[in-house]
Amino acid sequence: MTDEMNTNPPVEAGLEMFQDTMEEFLAAADVRVVYGEPIQHDDTLIIPTAEVLCGLGFGVGSGSGTSADENPDKPSQGSGSGGGGGGRILSRPVAVVVASPEGVRVEPVVDITKIALAGLTALGFMVGMMFRMSSRRHALPTIEE
Amino acid sequence: MPTIEREIRTGETMQVGNFQITPKTNVLKIQLPGHRAGLIWNRPKAVTVRTSNGQESTLPVRDVTRLVIWSMLAGGLLGAILIGRMYRND
Repeated sequence: MTDEMNTNPPVEAGLEMFQDTMEEFLAAADVRVVYGEPIQHDDTLIIPTAEVLCGLGFGVGSGSGTSADENPDKPSQGSGSGGGGGGRILSRPVAVVVASPEGVRVEPVVDITKIALAGLTALGFMVGMMFRMSSRRHALPTIEE
Repeated sequence: MPTIEREIRTGETMQVGNFQITPKTNVLKIQLPGHRAGLIWNRPKAVTVRTSNGQESTLPVRDVTRLVIWSMLAGGLLGAILIGRMYRND
């Protein structure tokens, strides 16, 4: 038995856990994530498709101190380790593949809410520019002869 | 330096009636050094359809929502620039 504190096992365990999480994260690049389970409806088969955006990040750290036995001038210091991480997955339907005896076609999925929001933003941008330009013109001093 | 990787992945072929459907995806992978952070953007690219008589065709999967949104934002920006120029010229 030694008084020396070993900080490696928790850090390694943490790293292993993070590596496992990273491997699971990399599975998001699979084709099956984008193309959903086919839905059979009479003679027609529908395959939903979605766009997947996945981000992940983590970090671990550790520190160790000194013992009073080794250096009597300094008080005993401990050690510790910690880690943290975060991630987010965004998924959005893009289209559906419709396969029927007549043929195969791709039907797009249109998100009206997002389009309306983008339209309002663009309109607001233009109106804001107009307002800014007209107010700047009114603010100019008039030259009297 | 972060690793940026772009690849086209092909999924398993499905048999639907007389058609064989093969899905394809477009994957963009960004990994930071040390493999402690990363980003994956996976989106459908196309489906390849093969008929029983051997004819093959590729149907692209278009993201209409994104196309419309970017067009609108580009239009808004262009409109703002044009308005600015118009007022300056007056």
